[in-house]
Amino acid sequence: MNGPEYIAPANLGDALRIKHERGAQARVIAGGTDLILRMRDKVLAPDLLIDLKNVSLDTISDSDNGIRLGACVTLSQILSEPVITGSYPALAGACREFAGPPIRNRGTLGGNLVNASPAADLVPPLLAYDANLVLASSSAVRELPLTGFFTGPGQTVMAPDEILTEVRLPSMPAPTASVFIKLGQRRSMAISIVNLAIRLTLDDASRVSAARIVLGAVAPTPIRAGASEALLTGQELSGELIALAAKKASRETSAITDVRASKEYREKMTRVLVRRALESIRDELQRSESSG
Amino acid sequence: MNDSNIVGQWTSAPGAHDIVTGKARYCPDLRLPGMLIGKLLYSPHARARIRHLDVSKARAIPGVFAVMTHEDIAGENSYLYAAPDQPLLAVDEVRFQGDAVAAVAAVDEQTADAALNAIEVEYEALEGLFDPLQAMQAGAEQVMSGEENVMMSRTYRSGDVEAALAAADVIVENTYTTPWAEHAFLETEGGVAMVDDEGVVTVWSSCQAPHRDRMQIARALAVPESMVRVITPYIGGAFGGKDEAHVQIHAALLACAAGRPVSLVRGRRESILTHVKRHPFIVECTTAASSDGRLLAVKVRAIADAGPYTNATHEVLNKFGEFIGGPYQVQNLEVEQIGVRTNNPITGAFRGFGAPQAAFVYESQMDDLARKLDIDPLQIRLLNGVDTGTRMYTGVVVREGSTMKESLRKAAEMIGWEKRNQSERRPASHLRRGWGMATILKGSGLGRGLADHAGVVLEMHRDGSVALRSGAADMGQGIVTVMAQLAAEKLGVDISSVRVVRADTARTPDAGASCASRQVIVSGNAVLEAAETIRESLMTIAAGKTKISKDRLELKGGKLLVDGEPHALSVADLALRAIAWGYPMHAESRCHFEYPDDVPEVTYKYSQEIFQFCTHIAQVLVDCETGQVTVERLVAVHDAGKMINPGGVYGQIEGGCAQGIGYALTEELVVQDGHTQNASLENYVIPMALDLPELEMGVLEVPEPSGTPLGAKGIAESPIIPTAPAIRNAILDAIGKPLYQLPMNAERVLAAVES
Amino acid sequence: MAEIDIRMTVNGSVQQLKAGAGRTLLSVLREEAGLTGTKDGCSSGDCGACVVILDGQPVNSCMVLAPQAEGSQITTVEGLAVDDELQPLQRAFAETWAFQCGFCTQGMLMSCHALLMSNLNPTREEILTAISGNLCRCTAYQGVVKAVEQAAAEMRSQDQNRHE
Repeated sequence: MNGPEYIAPANLGDALRIKHERGAQARVIAGGTDLILRMRDKVLAPDLLIDLKNVSLDTISDSDNGIRLGACVTLSQILSEPVITGSYPALAGACREFAGPPIRNRGTLGGNLVNASPAADLVPPLLAYDANLVLASSSAVRELPLTGFFTGPGQTVMAPDEILTEVRLPSMPAPTASVFIKLGQRRSMAISIVNLAIRLTLDDASRVSAARIVLGAVAPTPIRAGASEALLTGQELSGELIALAAKKASRETSAITDVRASKEYREKMTRVLVRRALESIRDELQRSESSG
Repeated sequence: MNDSNIVGQWTSAPGAHDIVTGKARYCPDLRLPGMLIGKLLYSPHARARIRHLDVSKARAIPGVFAVMTHEDIAGENSYLYAAPDQPLLAVDEVRFQGDAVAAVAAVDEQTADAALNAIEVEYEALEGLFDPLQAMQAGAEQVMSGEENVMMSRTYRSGDVEAALAAADVIVENTYTTPWAEHAFLETEGGVAMVDDEGVVTVWSSCQAPHRDRMQIARALAVPESMVRVITPYIGGAFGGKDEAHVQIHAALLACAAGRPVSLVRGRRESILTHVKRHPFIVECTTAASSDGRLLAVKVRAIADAGPYTNATHEVLNKFGEFIGGPYQVQNLEVEQIGVRTNNPITGAFRGFGAPQAAFVYESQMDDLARKLDIDPLQIRLLNGVDTGTRMYTGVVVREGSTMKESLRKAAEMIGWEKRNQSERRPASHLRRGWGMATILKGSGLGRGLADHAGVVLEMHRDGSVALRSGAADMGQGIVTVMAQLAAEKLGVDISSVRVVRADTARTPDAGASCASRQVIVSGNAVLEAAETIRESLMTIAAGKTKISKDRLELKGGKLLVDGEPHALSVADLALRAIAWGYPMHAESRCHFEYPDDVPEVTYKYSQEIFQFCTHIAQVLVDCETGQVTVERLVAVHDAGKMINPGGVYGQIEGGCAQGIGYALTEELVVQDGHTQNASLENYVIPMALDLPELEMGVLEVPEPSGTPLGAKGIAESPIIPTAPAIRNAILDAIGKPLYQLPMNAERVLAAVES
Repeated sequence: MAEIDIRMTVNGSVQQLKAGAGRTLLSVLREEAGLTGTKDGCSSGDCGACVVILDGQPVNSCMVLAPQAEGSQITTVEGLAVDDELQPLQRAFAETWAFQCGFCTQGMLMSCHALLMSNLNPTREEILTAISGNLCRCTAYQGVVKAVEQAAAEMRSQDQNRHE
């Protein structure tokens, strides 16, 4: 059994050039917490590992209208970043409930995205915040919305010569509230049975101007509950509306039964958790309204 | 021994320094010159005929030193825990997913993997038997040809159950199911073997029974037992799962075949797929009572899915039957015990040995009965509980039973049982809080009529230092510490003066298996008895030198005390003289579990006589929309008889409770058509630090009147036993709906809420 | 498979090792550096028995490839005691019976040691979170919490004495 070759390029340009030359047989490694497992289980057998540790993609910075996260920032880094815990609480929440500290110290934002697990905890919040991704190749750099990035379990639109370099989150207009909820079999080291992130932004008349309801582990990829979002948009949040939106969201799933839970349970939980998330967001928005 | 500075203290384990510095060596840490890596090829099928097996290509790979099939086993091709029906290497058929087909040894892991890949096996997949209820039907295909699928069927009767049922005011009748449970000892099974210069096959084994390992290895190799030596290095947990042999026999076979040392350690996935699990049970139980809550009769039919091989099925079902009446005064009892062969995972010993399944049944029945009669769960248990002197339905008289009710009262007091209804039962519209208890008894030792003894060799040297040789395996439970404490106490030396020689069949006497909560009693007694011989020598010298009568002398902390005051003579001075003058300073003792002959008419086979009583009370919060259960509080009150080491006792209680919470709520091997679906620590869900409540533990010390060291009782198994039923009863209290299946995972609890 | 030269500082001393790129840090520490104190409990990042401190942070060494650790500073359980003198945390683990079989202990020690490097006054919740990736099957976690609290108290008073 031959192991892979390994290279740790000194800069992004070199990494992109090598990726271009070797294509799909080269895998990019950042934290490695997914990739190493897949190599061990022989799901993946790359010829070459391109380690991004010397390529400076591990910073979080403010930009004109939002923040930029390098693809190699770790979950622990995200958690200790006040901008994120303050303005993007659903993302911080997802990181907080992710595995345990030793994995959070290695696992990266980019890894959680490109591995394209249907249960990836970071994806629902990133979709809820309208994240954009920056994909670079040796010949071009493109920015594209995260929506549409996943094409199936383990599948994305990335070309074989591309590397994910950055995630961009736009600023959230006030008043916005967001929340992440994870249902797992234990409080740490759990794979989600259902995870979700919801973000609502209100207009001056306290109507929902933007709704994002993103569900994980209930479809081949994390999905936005479009019908449910549409139902909320332009409306004032009420108990009945929330209940209806939750019911609708659970109908937008295409869950499966696996060793963790049945399809039926996942559907039921989607409804319960969407309702809880919306109620908590409503309460938060009301609190900020009365205090503001 | 009342004002002891050793017994009853939180003395650190003798191996603690090695463990916290990383020096402690476990099987996977052993390195020998020229050592090869051993691996086994396991069946991918739950049931298949082996049409063709060709290892020639594997043998031809450079760096491969041995490739073995069943044809290469000189001796008996079988594990021998109970019956010789599980092959070490499959002959013509594989009967579960973990059956091994071939064994290889190679210079490194990659080469060993390559050898496994090069073995050609042609299987003819056969339809397996996966449902024990179907497998036990007349005419069902045989899992092992020539053997009945029903490997055991036995009914024990006490009193007149039918008459009592007919006369009862109230009857509760339910069917319970329990899952396969995985030990998940953190160190997977391993063995390292070599042939020494004298031709002795030396095996380091991560095991619970080194002397039985030696016997099994010798039989497989067809060599005299005297040519086999089994040593236990540090062992990373066992919980019953390393009682039966695993890979140590294969390691020995490979080392002999390869002519080089071999290390064979299972990976985690292999471990989960191949070793024995706690038996899944289906239990029908009818409990009858009078209108005032007195138990009149219990009638039980229990079916255990054994997997294809016998392993410990008879013994586990036997203990299930011994305890199915619970710690209660019930004279009319009938229990039918059925063990069925299937092509599911193999089953065997796991902490509690049939008692966790039994307790889930009888303690759930008690709460269902209490609800039906509108009696408080505490009161119905106090009403029916045994006392000292109670003759059980097994025929055995309880020698010390006061702690049955004492543990109930103390646990109730600790949790505030009487005041529980003043707490918020409905803290939010979707949340319900509830309280539930379970109280159990658990015996120590293998049982009446079975060989159940342990030997110890103790020697004090001229400087007062002590060597203690015991064949009792310490898998972490702490027997080494307990023995060192008892020896130090009795001989009046510091614990640092006692060196325990860990189990090594060439150097230590047979102590039997470390199982059945037996070692503290049987090896503990042996240590005290051996120490007494040496102490007597020291005291004789002391009396002679000081001209003071022995009743005024004492040995403590390495000193001789006269009327409690230190004398110039030390224990070392006395030892020097005792050895010089030929007094016995080397003592061997062998102790047996004692079963008094004056028990009339013992009718239950292999019944135990030393009982540990304990009560757990859980407070849970149920999320009625998700079915998630949070154990908010867990009170655990145990009778230790006498605590030799509180650190060990509290550790056992806490660890057992954690395993019990897992058994109650999340732990279940998911097996479909004989194939395990969750063979990883990711998907076999064990509670971790954030999932457990801060346990509230109470320890009672009511000494066992005879037969145990200082009155101490074994505490290893009981903590797991009442945890699941206590949580089940708390969920019942919270949501008003009973559950009859373990684990009570969120989905099942939600189904109960919605039923 | 080409072997790669890997240089890292383990427990304060520089190690020059050769390993294939597919080898994990765990495997290299155990097999090449001979540091078998670090244990392999699952090889999949689920149990925490292999936790070491890599550049100040606890990580699962089974989830790090050896070349990824090139140039880094690593502390294993063997690096805790100085001249065989136990650290307060190690002593506290032994005294409070924070383990039984000891197989999870070194990983537990590393997670707790990392916590104490940044926080000498951790709450119970912080301690439990710090060890929430470490599985103990024998005796669970109350002994560990007690040990960390005891060690933290001792280290705080040592700190105070040093500053006085």
